[in-house]
Amino acid sequence: MNGSAQRPIKVFLTEAGGFSLFVSRFFQNAFHPRFEWREFIRQSVQNGNGSLPLVAVTAFIMGLVLTVQSRPTLARFGAESMLPAMVAISMVREIVPVITALICAGKIASGMSAELGSMKVTEQIDAMEVSGTNPFRYLAVTRIWSTTLMVPLLVILADGIAIWASWVGMNMKGPVSWQLFQRQVFDSLALGDVLPALIKSIFFGFVVGAIGCFKGFTTAKGTEGVGRSAHNAVVYSSLLIFIIDLLAVQITELMGLN
Amino acid sequence: MGTQEASSPRPGQHEKVLSLRGLELAFGPNKVLRGFDLDLYRGENVMVLGKSGSGKSVLIKCIVRLLMPTGGSIEVLGQDVLALGQEELDHLRVKVGFLFQSSALYDSMTVEENLRFPLRRHWLATTSGEADGLVDEMLSAVGLAHTRKLFPSELSGGMKRRVALARTLILKPEIVLYDEPTTGLDPITGKEIVELILKLQRSYGTSSIIISHDLHVARMAANRIALLHEGRKYAEGTYDEFRSSQDPLIQNFFIFM
Repeated sequence: MNGSAQRPIKVFLTEAGGFSLFVSRFFQNAFHPRFEWREFIRQSVQNGNGSLPLVAVTAFIMGLVLTVQSRPTLARFGAESMLPAMVAISMVREIVPVITALICAGKIASGMSAELGSMKVTEQIDAMEVSGTNPFRYLAVTRIWSTTLMVPLLVILADGIAIWASWVGMNMKGPVSWQLFQRQVFDSLALGDVLPALIKSIFFGFVVGAIGCFKGFTTAKGTEGVGRSAHNAVVYSSLLIFIIDLLAVQITELMGLN
Repeated sequence: MGTQEASSPRPGQHEKVLSLRGLELAFGPNKVLRGFDLDLYRGENVMVLGKSGSGKSVLIKCIVRLLMPTGGSIEVLGQDVLALGQEELDHLRVKVGFLFQSSALYDSMTVEENLRFPLRRHWLATTSGEADGLVDEMLSAVGLAHTRKLFPSELSGGMKRRVALARTLILKPEIVLYDEPTTGLDPITGKEIVELILKLQRSYGTSSIIISHDLHVARMAANRIALLHEGRKYAEGTYDEFRSSQDPLIQNFFIFM
């Protein structure tokens, strides 16, 4: 194998190894008795509030568009009454968790990576360490826990908005009662739709935080490195979200939840 | 001149607070430190002089274990730094202040929050009022009491260095490590910073290692100078001994004096 072909493999293995060590370091520190509650709450509010408008608008548009675009196809088969169920199941099981996680990858992971990366290159992380504060516990553990909690919460909220937007979309062709629509939605949704989606959202949240912090903590080569880390954080976390989604589908299939 | 000892009396000469023996550090094949020795006594200011890239900053980063040396020993306040566990090291780090060349202020926090941060971490101020008092005391000591609510981005380079100095000293360390305290500042501000370092040292009784290539700093602040060259201590002495040395390597540092 020539050198140019070996390089990407070496980079991949180095990154994968580094990330594995980073995750294992997270679990070593994650349950430390002296948890940084103040920073965790600050991060959760910041990540949740900061992403909420974008997630809400996207969920509304997704719900509305899917409803409007699916209606003619279902009408052709005389199955227009299935529209609320179809939109709800698609949204809750797949579209909302993945799109919300991708938005968080673009917004939170890149932001974390840029913030921690610039702290690294300006020696702020070193300053924290020499003042006797464990920067990993203070900066990384709190951020990773915060995204692990906030991404599923954003997903639940986005589910609600997308379903409401679907009702708005249905009303564009004629009045539909909210109670009737709601009943159809909840009758069609089973625990096997909601629970796997929620569990994979927890993993998505973990990946968003872990990749953002990993790329931030490993930033090198000055401000140029900060930009590269933020870019890589989005690419890696998006890729991992799709891989987790693929695995989740296989697992739910094996468990007979599909 | 060789490894000449300073002839002037040192403050607290008999109480050694820091000792480096045979310190070695390599980054791959690049050996930065090749057996560096240094002692620091209580109340003393030692300046480590050396060219850019000679490993001065690396040296003080080893002292607080931001970098792990590949050989040698480091003893700080009677403790073997390289043998300490993380919790013990964190306790020791409270007693060893570090002023970064870049100031390294937390840019998402105000000046006040920057100073409160280490206090909160180490429970050194039990009440908010007590923390307020300490923040006030330190900011007044560096002449920046009016900057409490400002962010680091709103401060000049000299002000950032002063705030960083206040943050370093708020934990009342016994030893302070200064990494190029005047680099990047104009000569007047640089002089003010050195005067401030000396004033605060007298007030709080700290011992210091000052990393610099600036002999003006040495003249004003150092009881003793150690010249770091090719990873080893090339020479040691007072400013006057360095000034009168015939060694061409030492004389090179006086070219612009």
